[in-house]
Amino acid sequence: MSKRVGIVGAGVTPFKGTWREKTYYELSQMAAREAVKDAQIDINDVDAAFYGIYNDIFERTAIPDHAIHGLLGMQDKFGIRITNGGATGAYTMSAAHAYLAAGRFKMALVLGVEKATDCFDFSSMSATPEVIKSIGWSGDSFFEQGIGWSASDSYAEVVLGYMDEHPGDLKPEITAQISAQLSQQVRSNPYAQRQFDQVTPEEVLNSRLVVYPFKELEICVYTEGAAAVIFAEEETAKAISKTSGKPVIWITGVGEANEHSFAGKKQKNMSRIMSDYYASRRAYEMAGIKDPTKSIEIIELHDAFVHQLEITMAEFGLVPLGRADSLIEENLMTPGGKYVVNPCGGLIYCGHAVGASNIMSAWSARNELIKRKLNTALVHGTGSTVAQFTACLILEHG
Amino acid sequence: MEREVPLLNSPRVSSLSTDRKGETIMGTEKERVILSKYIPEVGSHTEAIDGKDYLITNDAMYTFYQRTKGEFSPFFLALRDEKKLLGCKCSKCGLVRVPPFLTHCPDCNFAPTDLVEVQQVGVMNSTPPITYFATSLFQDMAPYGRGRVIFRGAETAMSVNLFTTTGILVPGIIAKGTEVKLIFRDNRIGEMRDVFCVSTAELSPEQIKKNGLQESEVDWESPTEPGLPEPSDEDVPVYRKALGEIKSIIEEMNRNERARKDIAGWKRDILVKTRGGQFTIFINDGDIRIDEFEPPSPDFVMVCEDPWTLLDGLAYRGAITDSVINKKLWISKNMEFNTIFKLDRMARSVARSRKT
Repeated sequence: MSKRVGIVGAGVTPFKGTWREKTYYELSQMAAREAVKDAQIDINDVDAAFYGIYNDIFERTAIPDHAIHGLLGMQDKFGIRITNGGATGAYTMSAAHAYLAAGRFKMALVLGVEKATDCFDFSSMSATPEVIKSIGWSGDSFFEQGIGWSASDSYAEVVLGYMDEHPGDLKPEITAQISAQLSQQVRSNPYAQRQFDQVTPEEVLNSRLVVYPFKELEICVYTEGAAAVIFAEEETAKAISKTSGKPVIWITGVGEANEHSFAGKKQKNMSRIMSDYYASRRAYEMAGIKDPTKSIEIIELHDAFVHQLEITMAEFGLVPLGRADSLIEENLMTPGGKYVVNPCGGLIYCGHAVGASNIMSAWSARNELIKRKLNTALVHGTGSTVAQFTACLILEHG
Repeated sequence: MEREVPLLNSPRVSSLSTDRKGETIMGTEKERVILSKYIPEVGSHTEAIDGKDYLITNDAMYTFYQRTKGEFSPFFLALRDEKKLLGCKCSKCGLVRVPPFLTHCPDCNFAPTDLVEVQQVGVMNSTPPITYFATSLFQDMAPYGRGRVIFRGAETAMSVNLFTTTGILVPGIIAKGTEVKLIFRDNRIGEMRDVFCVSTAELSPEQIKKNGLQESEVDWESPTEPGLPEPSDEDVPVYRKALGEIKSIIEEMNRNERARKDIAGWKRDILVKTRGGQFTIFINDGDIRIDEFEPPSPDFVMVCEDPWTLLDGLAYRGAITDSVINKKLWISKNMEFNTIFKLDRMARSVARSRKT
């Protein structure tokens, strides 16, 4: 019988476009210090560390976790790095959950970190083209890298595939409205990269096309930062909760799915994000959720792109496929609506420090469950080419 | 000497040839897999934050390869030497996969597959994205499409670049179900960039029928500068008013630290031609200014019949990028999309600063 696992502490660094004054070593320690402080534990009580770091090129080293293990006080203990594209953080939490549920450890540090914008393009004298080039090395190296594969164009393939099937959905005025709403929600997140970058739907509509159909203000931003959560098995979690005075947020469901990366018959269906579908259904089943529309209250969704946020909500079964615009048109995610979606501002406004992003989402979901006195949240990570990878976690306020 | 490729605004030249900056064409020793413009000098500098100096060094993490193509060799050699497109057919279920990215079918408990040739015309599996803002590796190729084509005889889709013979690729030219033709580059080295697709609607029946059709056999629209009508009596005052406002915005950009950062290290002289008159925008490492003086050799030319098109972009009332895509504004070099992005970025920076 697997053990119950809960979150007993969490912390994040400020998410910033660039941290000139910190390396990823210090960012990692900053987040870990915050999480330990939040749980009111001693780092020496932690049995194992799980590191979510996406891209070796960003950190400029092939084993980026080796140096941080010791400086986090984890010398001579278990340490493992997970890297799964954009879904790195969610998969790292999934792995940590599995080890604790299996009884291997009583308490674990789950830490995500990324330092992306040291990458610099000396031909245009700006960071972004080199950052997206570095991500471009993640594409298929035989058939796709050489013809301009990028994270944006591969997600755009899925979005356009969906729009081929549902031409009336994902209307530009709706995606613009969602982006503008997220920019308002981020105001209350003091750790966000764009806390004070509020935009109007008109500004979103007027922003430049980066990769058709994505406009600049509909895309997540590259970020540097770290996030950490402390997971503990049931008895340990309850003991920590007594001391800290903070409730345990239980991880009651976990689900993952990775699709085929090539398209066509028996392969990737470009009009769907089946990884989101399968991962969410597996998480619901484990959590005993029969009807997610009646159970899920908070969604911390990996919004790499606003259009993908809408499709993902449909794949979660929270709105019908082809009617994702109902999120706005039927006030399902507008303030006061049925679903609280990305109260932290999401990756578009809080920022996307890849390995840390989904862990930041878990930090936010935990905070919101406690603050709003709600019961159930869904945390999501998506990544790799054509939204191939997904991991979902169900968090419940015990 | 390295091969520094001239950049011209022709799909055939700029989109199809100059993007091959990473190539090593056999028989020439001068070309390098990385152009010098991407390689920084050894050095370091400091940036001050809250009164403290932080050190930043120029650096690179590079690895060179002699990349083995292994079981994919027949596919790439067929592209390079025979101008043929190969797939693999499962001996059990008969599924034909293109490209032939496996030797045994995972759907049939790893039954072996055989290489088969498929046709060079197919249809789009879904509407392809178009990249306008590319990674540093592909800035010279943008704008470009990349989408998946199911070629006749195949059941899976192959990723290819998509171009148009009519200028800049814009949404609507190629969509789900559009029939496209595989085109072979004149110079091929055995990689996916050896081929690309264009809509068959832009080709003759003979070209569509021909196997191994090469880029040099296709007519590409020349990048001719659009002519402007003689200015009317109303045009000149309209131009003067727009110019006054553009000057004022450019001056504001020049005073704005965030906007100045957007053009740090960038230098361009842009000749802007409109119906009522012409002027030049000078960008020089953080500085931007405007003058009615025409430089002897501008880096590129921008033509917009209505000066308000540019003005609206600079004033953050719409993206200049979109004006280029929508053909309201013409630029003489596709690679200067990069500069257009920077101007759009500056407009946003000024707008953001006004809010805060």
